[in-house]
Amino acid sequence: MTIRTEVDLGRRAFAIGAASAVAGLTIGFRWALAQAPQSGPPVPPMIRSNPRLDAWVRIAPDGGITVMTGRVEIGQGMLTVMRQVAADELDVAPERLTLISGDTAQTPNEGVTAGSLAVKLGSTALGLACADARATLIGVAAKAWSVEPGAVKVEDGQMLGPAGQRMSYGEAAGRISLARPVDVAAKRKSPAEQRIIGTSYPRVDIPAKVFGQPVFIHDLRPAGMLFGAIARPPAYAARLVSADLDAIRSRPGVVEVVRDGSFLGVVARREEQAQAAAHALAKAARWDAGAPLFGGQDVFDYLLTAPSETAVVHTAKAEAPPAATTHKAEYRRHFQAHASIGASCALAQWQDGRLTVWSHTQGPFPLRGDLAKGLRVSPEAVRIIHAQGAGCYGHNGADDVALDAALLARAVPGRPVRVHWAHEEEMAWEPWGSAMVTRLAGGISADGTLAHWTHDVWSFPHSTRPGSDAGCNLRSAWYLADPVLPGKAADIPLPTGGAARNAVPIYAAANQTITSHFLSAMPIRTSALRTLGGYFNAVSAEMFIDELAALSGRDPVAFRLANIRDARLGAVLRKAVELAGWVPGVVGKRALAPEMIGTGVGLSRYKNSDAYVAVVAEVSVSTKSGLVTPLRLWSATDTGRAVNPDGVLNQIDGGMVQAASWTLQEAGRWNSGIMTTVDYGSYPIQDFLTTPLMHSVVIDRPEQPSLGAGEGSQAPAGAAIANAVFAATGRRVAEIPLTPDRVLAALKA
Amino acid sequence: MVGLTVNGRSFNVDVDASTPLIYVLRNDLALNGPKLGCGTGACGACTVHVDGRAVRSCQTPLSTLRPDARIVTLEGLGTPEKPHPVQAAFVAEQALQCGYCTNGMIMEAAALLAAQPNPTEGQIRQHLNGNLCRCGCQQRVVRAVQKAARGGV
Repeated sequence: MTIRTEVDLGRRAFAIGAASAVAGLTIGFRWALAQAPQSGPPVPPMIRSNPRLDAWVRIAPDGGITVMTGRVEIGQGMLTVMRQVAADELDVAPERLTLISGDTAQTPNEGVTAGSLAVKLGSTALGLACADARATLIGVAAKAWSVEPGAVKVEDGQMLGPAGQRMSYGEAAGRISLARPVDVAAKRKSPAEQRIIGTSYPRVDIPAKVFGQPVFIHDLRPAGMLFGAIARPPAYAARLVSADLDAIRSRPGVVEVVRDGSFLGVVARREEQAQAAAHALAKAARWDAGAPLFGGQDVFDYLLTAPSETAVVHTAKAEAPPAATTHKAEYRRHFQAHASIGASCALAQWQDGRLTVWSHTQGPFPLRGDLAKGLRVSPEAVRIIHAQGAGCYGHNGADDVALDAALLARAVPGRPVRVHWAHEEEMAWEPWGSAMVTRLAGGISADGTLAHWTHDVWSFPHSTRPGSDAGCNLRSAWYLADPVLPGKAADIPLPTGGAARNAVPIYAAANQTITSHFLSAMPIRTSALRTLGGYFNAVSAEMFIDELAALSGRDPVAFRLANIRDARLGAVLRKAVELAGWVPGVVGKRALAPEMIGTGVGLSRYKNSDAYVAVVAEVSVSTKSGLVTPLRLWSATDTGRAVNPDGVLNQIDGGMVQAASWTLQEAGRWNSGIMTTVDYGSYPIQDFLTTPLMHSVVIDRPEQPSLGAGEGSQAPAGAAIANAVFAATGRRVAEIPLTPDRVLAALKA
Repeated sequence: MVGLTVNGRSFNVDVDASTPLIYVLRNDLALNGPKLGCGTGACGACTVHVDGRAVRSCQTPLSTLRPDARIVTLEGLGTPEKPHPVQAAFVAEQALQCGYCTNGMIMEAAALLAAQPNPTEGQIRQHLNGNLCRCGCQQRVVRAVQKAARGGV
C-alpha cells in the first residue's frame, strides 16, 4: 500500500524576489468595490471585499488550476474543505488543484480564520467563484461549438460536446480573461449535483503529518537561518532598568543581542544557544517590577467593581402570565489558556528594507498591518506567508512571535531568523481567555413557560487581535523605547457578540434583558479563546435552566423542549437524549454516597446563528475527593449542509474533549505581576485517562446552508458536564473549573 | 564531534554533548518527525525510539546515548510506500487535527504494540496518557491503535 502525501510547504517558500512584485497588485482593484451591484443576487461578504474572479481561481494554458483562499489551515481541515468545494464546482478531481492559502502576496484578504466562519463565508465565496469560472469556460466551448451551454459536459477539466467535441479548460481559459469581477449570479451546484461536497473526503494534510514530511513552520530551514529568543520581563508591567549585553554577546553561538527599550532578545547560531542566552540575559537584567495585577484584588471582585462599560444589549417584551417560581444565580469562570502543544513560532527575513514573515497566524493580512505599525514601515513592505503551526484555538502567541522574529531579524539583514517560543513563555505571554462573571435571574409561569429572563455578564475583552483601526496589537511593540501601544479594546457587538456572545437565551422567555459589563482595560491581557464569551454565557444559561427545571419539579429535557421555538434545536436535543437513553427525572438533593453518577444535558446554538449542538454527559463524582470524572458524552449536531461530515465530527468531538478540560480542570493563576500557571504541572490539560467515551452524530441537512461547526460543541459539552454534576449530587458548583476543592465545598454547603 | 545513528544512517555532529537530542534531529539532521513541544518531557511530541524504546528526545542529552544506540524517528518508522501499521491506521482513522502531537502518539503506540501486540483499550489509554493532544483527538487515536493492533488497515 502506498499512501499519497502532499507537501505544501516550501513551494512558496523563499520566492521573495517575485513576491514583492506581486504584493502591490491587490491595491489597484479597489474600483470593483465601488462597482459592486446595488441590486440583484446578494454579494457574499468575502466577494464584496475580494471581487475579482482571478483572485480566487486561475487556469493556466496547460489546464493547471490554482485556487486561492485567504483562509488558513489551523488543524480544522480547511485546506481539505476548500479543495472539496472548488473541485466540485469546477468538475475536476480534488488532487488536480493547486491550493494557495493565506499569503498576502497571492490570496484574497479574508481577514481572520476564526469564529467558525471559514466554511460559512470562505467556502461560499470560493465556491461561487469556481461556479462562475466553470460556467464561463463552458460558455467558451458552447460558443465555439454553437451549442447550448447545457449540452456541454465536463469530466475532470475536459469539456465534452454533444458531437464528441473536446476542449480543455486550459484551452478555453486562453480565449477569455478571468480578470473581472465575480458574477454573483453564477449558479452553484444543487446538493443533488454535488459529488464531493457532503462526503467525508480524507484530509489532504494528514498523510504528510503521519510520515514526518515538512508541513509545519518549524520545518522551514532556509540556508543561513539563525535562531532567536526573547529575554522576557518578570512581570507584564515590568520595565528594563539595565542589562549587560556584552556579557551575553560573548556566550557561545551568540550572533546579536538586541535591546530596544524593554524589548530584549538574542540571535544565535543554534536554537538551544539562543534560548540559554535569552534566559541568562533576562535573569541578569535589572527590571522595575511595576504595579501589582488587579491592585492585589481577587479577579472576580475586580470584575464586579472596576469601572466597566455597561449596556443593555438585548431586550424582548411580551405579555406573560405572572411568574410562579423565580430564581437567580451567579456563576464564575477563571482565566483559561489556549495551551497549544506547540508554542508559537515565526520565521522572518529582511532583504533591502522589505520583510517576509512565515507565520501560523489566523489572519495574514491583519498581521501585516500591525507588523507594519509596530516596525514603522509601510504594509506594502511586508509579506506574510502562512505556514501551519500547532492548533491555536484562538488568538494565542502566533501573531506576537512574528513581531519578535521581525525585530530580531532586523539586526541581521538578509539572514532568516526563526523564533520558537518555549511552552512556559507561551503560557505566560499569550493572551488568555477572559475570566468572567454572570448573573442570571428568571421566572416561570405556572404552566411551565418562561416569563422572564435576565442575564448580566462581566468580562474583559475577547478580541484584541491585530487588525483594529487604532494601535498595534502585537505585544513586543508595547515594550519598545518608542512604543506602539494598542488602541482601546472594543467589544464585538451582537448578534455575534464577544463578551455577550450567546448571552441571548435560546429559550422563548417572554421578557428578556441582557446586559453587558465590559472592562476594556486588561491587567492580564485577554483575547479570543475558542467561542469567545460564548462558552461561558451558554454554560451559565444551561446551568440556570437546569436549576429552574429542578425548582419547578420538571425534567431538564422536557422543560427545555417546552421552552424552545426553533425546531432544529428540538431535533438535536431529541437526538442526543435518544442516543444517551435519557431517563426523565427531577434533579434534587440526594443522600451522599462515596461515588455518585449523574447525567446532564447541554443545548446551544453557537452565536445564536451557527451550529445547533446538544450534548448529554454522564459523570461520576467522588464525594470523598471531590474529583469529577467524565464517563460518556453523546452529542447531536445540525450544521446545515455538512461539507465534510467526518471533519465536523472531528471538530465536535475534539471540542467536547477540550470543553471537558476547561470545565473540570483549567484555571490560570498569577502572582503580583504575571501568570504562574505556565507548565503542564500547574496548568494540566486533558489526557487519555480523562477523555470520556464519545458517541456523536451529525444530522445532515443538505438543503440548508452550511453553518459554522468548529466551535459548536464547547458550550453544550461544558454545560452537560456541569449539569451532570448537579444531577449526581443535587448541588450546584457554580465556579468553573469544577475542581475537587470546589465540588467538596458545594457538597458541604 | 558526536556520532549517532539515526534511521540506519550514521552522522557526526559538531555540538556540545549536553545538547538535547531533539535539537540535533531537527536542526542538524533536518528531520521533521519529532516536534519540540514543552521541552520538559511532559507532552510527548518529541518522542523517538532509542533501541526500540520510546524516549523523550527533549530530555535526552547526546551524552546519555550509547555510541551504538539505534535512533529511529517517525521518518524511519515507515514511509508512504511502506507505512508502519500505526501510521496507516492514523490515516485510515483520520486520527488527528493539527498533527503536532501525532509524531509522539505514533511513536509511543508503535513501541507499545511491539511489546504488547494486543493491548486492551484501557492499556492503550494508560500507555499513551503521557502524550497530550490539545485538539481532543484522543478517542480517534485509541481507535487507530486498536485498528493497527488488529492488523485491520
